Amino acid sequence: MISLAGRDILHSWGKFVLTGVGLGLLIGVTLSMAGVYRGMVDDAQALLENSRADLWVVQKDTLGPYAEPSSLTEESERPIRAMRGVAQAAGVTYLTMQIAHSGKDVRVMVVGAEMAEPGLPGQPTHLIAGRQIVRGHYEAVADVKTGFAIGDRVKVRRNSYTIVGLTSRMVSSGGDPMLFLSLKDAQQAQFQKDSDAIIRQRARTAASPTLNPPGNPAVADAVNAVQSGNNNVNAVLVTITPGVAPDEVAESIRRWQRLTVYTRAQMEEILVEKLIATSARQIGMFLVILAIVSAAIVAFIIYTMTLGKIREIAVLKLIGTRNSTISWMILQQALGLGLIGFIVGKIAASLWAPFFPKYVLLLSADSIRGFFAVMAICTLASVLAIQAALKVDPAEAIGG
Amino acid sequence: MAEGILINNVVKTYGSGDTAVHALRGVNMAVAKGEVVGLIGPSGSGKSTLLKCLGAVIEPTSGRMTIGDQCIYDNGWKVHDLRALRRDLIGFIFQAPYLIPFLDVTDNVALLPMLAGKPNALARKEARELLNALDVGHRAKAMPPQLSGGEQQRVAIARALVNRPPVILADEPTAPLDGQRALAVVTLLNDMARQFDTAIIIVTHDEKIIPTFKRLYNIRDGVTVEEAQVRAA
Repeated sequence: MISLAGRDILHSWGKFVLTGVGLGLLIGVTLSMAGVYRGMVDDAQALLENSRADLWVVQKDTLGPYAEPSSLTEESERPIRAMRGVAQAAGVTYLTMQIAHSGKDVRVMVVGAEMAEPGLPGQPTHLIAGRQIVRGHYEAVADVKTGFAIGDRVKVRRNSYTIVGLTSRMVSSGGDPMLFLSLKDAQQAQFQKDSDAIIRQRARTAASPTLNPPGNPAVADAVNAVQSGNNNVNAVLVTITPGVAPDEVAESIRRWQRLTVYTRAQMEEILVEKLIATSARQIGMFLVILAIVSAAIVAFIIYTMTLGKIREIAVLKLIGTRNSTISWMILQQALGLGLIGFIVGKIAASLWAPFFPKYVLLLSADSIRGFFAVMAICTLASVLAIQAALKVDPAEAIGG
Repeated sequence: MAEGILINNVVKTYGSGDTAVHALRGVNMAVAKGEVVGLIGPSGSGKSTLLKCLGAVIEPTSGRMTIGDQCIYDNGWKVHDLRALRRDLIGFIFQAPYLIPFLDVTDNVALLPMLAGKPNALARKEARELLNALDVGHRAKAMPPQLSGGEQQRVAIARALVNRPPVILADEPTAPLDGQRALAVVTLLNDMARQFDTAIIIVTHDEKIIPTFKRLYNIRDGVTVEEAQVRAA
């Protein structure tokens, strides 16, 4: 038996392909939406992976440093480093800000990392050009997504920094590229007040008889020094000695340092299930709407194509064609349309993914799931048309 | 002469009670194998209803219908699979050819034997032979819109004949054709009826072809009357 659907498709291939392309662009948008979500999850995981930490020690009762503000003194790091099972510990700061560069603003996450010895958690990884920060001040390593080049000078708050290295895939959970500074520079950028604020603070201290007791000017100097300096960090990143359970060390830090500690799994949960949960739901809603729109379009197209063949269907039924043959013809056309749409959509999504401002990750597993979803949607969408075809009375071919 | 079609007292009533419409009030017809008869009558007289009943498309209310030796209806269908009955025992020719536009001429004809389960190659071979016999073999690869009206109707005749059905029902097959072509189609149907021993009923309004029938049935208000023989055999 010949394929009636195949012949019909070949006969009106132009209409069929154009419709498939239209549907494909819609499927491409759907796949891209899934890719945007995967990209967000991957960004979050890259952030954790690239920090090379096993534990995140943060301010007590906060979800810091990525989901909530967290501040703890740099000195918290020393007792942690001395604890059993801790291999390395390093303070780190995170600050998302806009940096003006070459006439346009670039949104970056400024990361302050301890550069005292190589390999400490929080330092930039995936260096693709240049070198690490080796000087104590005014050097920076940037992710390529910032658009900065080695040798560029960028201004962060009051100071300018020279880009000495470039990384790839070093981004925040929001997809902003990272700009690494030494911890001291980053603390200054994050916590140092501007000159006017310092002058006003000093005047207030000088006017206070408690902070500036008569006959003892050293007290006011000490107060000013404390107020203008800042050695806080947002978190202490900890690596664990091989063979020691992270949960055990985390529990020990919680108990003895009275700080909040997250393991990798807990931090991943915070980032993926809490921080980007709303975005994920938003994207999920888009996916549902796009799936419904795709189904409606396929249903409408197949239904219209079927109605255009009512007379032929009546003739086919009159000359003895089985209902199942006619149903299969319509279903094959719907599936064919879905197949063309999926191929076009997959190609389109792959072509335009690099042009998205945020990372779009198109997973093969999502494509496979998408393919079966498209086929299921097309099958459902053909039901209306099949019903219409089965209602056709063969007597219509005779007329009268 | 052996009967190809025998219709006894077939009644078809649409609806019931006061709103009942009596489309056929007891039709009687007999068409021998190899014979072509005409069926005429004004609009609304019941011609199409009779074709639909005989074509197993609608069920009569009562009566008896026989095709060859097989009783297909006797106050109820005697055949379980009406679709197979239409496919194997009845050929249809319509007012317009109604060829499947996405199949070429050969496959339009070969579709029926394929539906009956014949292998594609054999079905196409039979279709090509028939198309050659009907003088449209040279258009075997053409698509329906590329054919003239006369060629399309010849292909439709080939489609009706390809399964060698004992009966062909033709519903105004010459309506879209000019006088010469209309006569050519009727001549062709007569030739085919003789060649394949097929009983053919042609419903028509076409004044040009009415004189060509040896026997003619006139249907009025749902009752058939056999007209006088128009032309000597």
